[in-house]
Amino acid sequence: MPPPSASRPGLYVHVPFCAQVCPYCDFSVLRGGEPARRRYVEHLLAEVPLAAADWSDPTPFDTVYFGGGTPSILPAAELVRVLETCRRHLPLVDEPWTCLEANPEDVTPESCAEWRGLGVRMLSLGVQSFDDAALRFLERAHDSGRARAAVETALAAGFATVSVDLIYGLPDQDEAAWRRQLEALVALAPDHVSCYQLTIHPRTRFGVAAARGKLRELPDERQAALFELTHRFLADAGWPAYEVSNFARGPEHRSRHNRKYWDHTPYLGLGPSAHSLAVATPTSARRFWNELRTPHWERRLAAGERPLEGEERLGPRELATEALMLGLRTAEGVDLDAFTQRYGFDLEASNAPLLVELQASGQLVLRDRRLVPALSGLAVADGLAAAFTLPG
Amino acid sequence: MDHIRNFCIIAHIDHGKSTLADRLIQRCGAVDPREFRDQILDSMDLERERGITIKANTVSMPYTARDGRTYELNLIDTPGHVDFSHEVRRSLMSCEGALLIVDASQGVEAQTVANLYLAMELGLQVVPVINKIDLPSADVDRVMEEIDRDLGLDPFASIQVSAKLGTGIDDLLEAIVTQLPPPKGVPEEPLRALLFDAQYDPYRGALLLVRLFDGKLRAGTRVRFMHSGQEHKVEEVGWQRLKHIPVPELSAGEVGYVLAGIKSLSGLAIGDTLTEAERPAAEPVPGYREAKPVVFSSIYPMATDEYEDLTKALEKLKLNDAALIYEKDSSAALGFGFRCGFLGLLHLDVVQERLEREYDLSLILSAPSVRYRIVLADGKEVWVDNPTFYPDPGSIQESYEPYIKATIMTPERYLGTVMELCRERRGVETTFNYLAAGRMEVISQLPLAEVLFDFYDRLKSITQGYGSFDYELLDYRLADLVKVDILVNGEKVDALSQLVHREFARPRALRYCERLASTIPRQQFKIAIQGAIGGQIIARTTINAFRKDVTAKCYGGDISRKRKLLEKQKEGKKRMKMVGAVEIPQAAFVAVLKTEAPADEE
Repeated sequence: MPPPSASRPGLYVHVPFCAQVCPYCDFSVLRGGEPARRRYVEHLLAEVPLAAADWSDPTPFDTVYFGGGTPSILPAAELVRVLETCRRHLPLVDEPWTCLEANPEDVTPESCAEWRGLGVRMLSLGVQSFDDAALRFLERAHDSGRARAAVETALAAGFATVSVDLIYGLPDQDEAAWRRQLEALVALAPDHVSCYQLTIHPRTRFGVAAARGKLRELPDERQAALFELTHRFLADAGWPAYEVSNFARGPEHRSRHNRKYWDHTPYLGLGPSAHSLAVATPTSARRFWNELRTPHWERRLAAGERPLEGEERLGPRELATEALMLGLRTAEGVDLDAFTQRYGFDLEASNAPLLVELQASGQLVLRDRRLVPALSGLAVADGLAAAFTLPG
Repeated sequence: MDHIRNFCIIAHIDHGKSTLADRLIQRCGAVDPREFRDQILDSMDLERERGITIKANTVSMPYTARDGRTYELNLIDTPGHVDFSHEVRRSLMSCEGALLIVDASQGVEAQTVANLYLAMELGLQVVPVINKIDLPSADVDRVMEEIDRDLGLDPFASIQVSAKLGTGIDDLLEAIVTQLPPPKGVPEEPLRALLFDAQYDPYRGALLLVRLFDGKLRAGTRVRFMHSGQEHKVEEVGWQRLKHIPVPELSAGEVGYVLAGIKSLSGLAIGDTLTEAERPAAEPVPGYREAKPVVFSSIYPMATDEYEDLTKALEKLKLNDAALIYEKDSSAALGFGFRCGFLGLLHLDVVQERLEREYDLSLILSAPSVRYRIVLADGKEVWVDNPTFYPDPGSIQESYEPYIKATIMTPERYLGTVMELCRERRGVETTFNYLAAGRMEVISQLPLAEVLFDFYDRLKSITQGYGSFDYELLDYRLADLVKVDILVNGEKVDALSQLVHREFARPRALRYCERLASTIPRQQFKIAIQGAIGGQIIARTTINAFRKDVTAKCYGGDISRKRKLLEKQKEGKKRMKMVGAVEIPQAAFVAVLKTEAPADEE
């Protein structure tokens, strides 16, 4: 794990609008017409100098991530204004690695050209499924034909990386049905894939349905089978996983922005619900986050305030806990010596019997002084992290 | 001496013994109405809540009868459970008469009968008292019939009362005076005073309750305990009213308290006889039995940092409970604790509850064990009550276990099931006698170890509450003993080891394994739980590992939330015990070690 100064910070911009709100989504999103979007952009532009005044790290940002919501809903010209404002107030490299999340229905050769012009290197497409029944269940606006066309258009537009998001583990989805999805995906050959297992969050429409007993997540055994199928299939097809839900055709296609979340590289988030991490020393950091709901976020900005909802200080123990929890979700795993050096905790010494047990069960591999999760370990990464003890 | 009546009350649980005692005390004016609280004799909270009397208590009441004379009525309270049969016997021995309470709607019940027989054996005059006549369901005629038929007592001598309303209390007091005999005894003979109870007073030390059979006792007398040989100088004697009232002397036939500067109860033996050191009696009061612990269990605090508190609590409890013994013990899985000896399972139960309630401790108790006599190959003999110290089986020549003579009283219709229960529990020489119409006595020689596992509850349930049980230790007999260990992923959990008869090793081990499997949460790896005798595995269960336990997305805001969840989880882990790499929650030990349900032990 490199010390923080070696990595440049990342900039995240949250665009909270969606044409319709998906029943499984627990992000900060809302439907909003043209006027609401314009109002949002004005507030966002106002947030930049406030956030910048508090950001003392002179290292230039080298990644920009437009996430949502649906950033592709905004006209490219608006995105340009946002970027320009950021560049005025914050240190930004000349050509930051930029990612934009887009819905298939927004993808046309024209929009792609605009986004390319804006510097977008990775276009991340919220395809979710190539199966029409599944898309209806997920209440997506597009159908499978539109999804395929969007991927093809994006690939033809010359982005460095085209990524496709899929959701699996839908009720009644068996291994054969999911395999067909993976086959469709591989046939289109995007550079990067995110496969998220369906999680039912309480405050979503799926959550309500689950509380009423009308919907449930798949049982453990079936989830595990689908998880393993996904990883094996994609690895065999040439898209090895580099994280629990992320797969890339080569290291150059990995999300350069997202990995910052996983190794305590600083990041600054703008827009409602966005989180930021400022790293003071290798063992002290501050995480702070914006108002979750857009109206609250706007009200604070309208009053000339920084729209923060909360913050926390992270000391060596908190950082170490996170590093372990996040590291065990990645194919790189946790570098034991770097971990001890940065956080001051000797994982091996305080978890000797556990390490023996986990290696014997094949969940963890100790390779080149790194704790690397095997596939079965990745499938239970949350539990792995919980099983470890930090001394003291 | 003619003005003294020493009596006790015999009753089934809930038949209103304490309420009746309250009423008698009130009527005699032995207590100021403002100080009165219900069930005044049951001084421990636990007793008041459970409605059972654990520790005998005693009170003297002055009563002016219809003949115009004032009598001294000594009510000697008796504990109501088999573990305390020593104390029951001691209490009954101090009396000339007994009131036998029968509930007007429930009728004669089993527990009453055992103590009635004991009372009759000791030659007490018994007055039947029909209580709760105010209840709508009261059926006095039927109950009188039962008194005649089942108990062989004169139903027309019975007194009908409602202790709750106070009805009939005057008639009862008269009956105590007229029907019960006064004590006998010779004041001029050398002193013989039976120690039938002792209480601990933080300011004055041990307060001895005695019944004088012969002689006199006054302050300044040097007394000797005839069994223990201890000598003390008496500082004060008096009557045990609700307050202590010092008197110049106690005389033959009387009941009272003695203070003799004794600092703790631990050296005292209930049942011992006090005599004058200068002029000792020839023989003590007969029937003395040493109260020996027969049940052993290790007590551990749930949280290891409560060990100091447990130590202090036991020290305090010991002051009040001479029968409790303990010594330091430690377990790899449960940390430091104490190995304790008890008179029986109820005694164990009472100690546990008192520690938990009065001292606010959370405890784990290991499986109760008896004390085994083990003869080693080299001829040496060792006593083992703790599986940890069980010798290497290769070095053992023979093992012996304690047997009891169990006396079970039951209605005839349950005879078959009671005999079967004795057989299941390895009972031998099981015989039965007819006592009265429809009532049987079953006598069986049983290994005490098999009685430890809720034999009493089982008996109650198969006889629908009518069975009563008493036992005395007989002797030690050859036992086919094995030590069963419980292994979690190959690591022995020392606190779960137990010594059992070979025949029961497998089912017992399997039950432990299954209970652990159902209470240890799934973990990162498969957990094998095994029961073993030495190297031989006799039972096995497994807990499968989680196969899927990972959040799909973990970006920005998810990280703090996830970390906090993890921190909470880790906080919970602190209360877990580690066996190798396996986390075992305290709840698993509690589930395994709680009283056995033997239904599946056959």
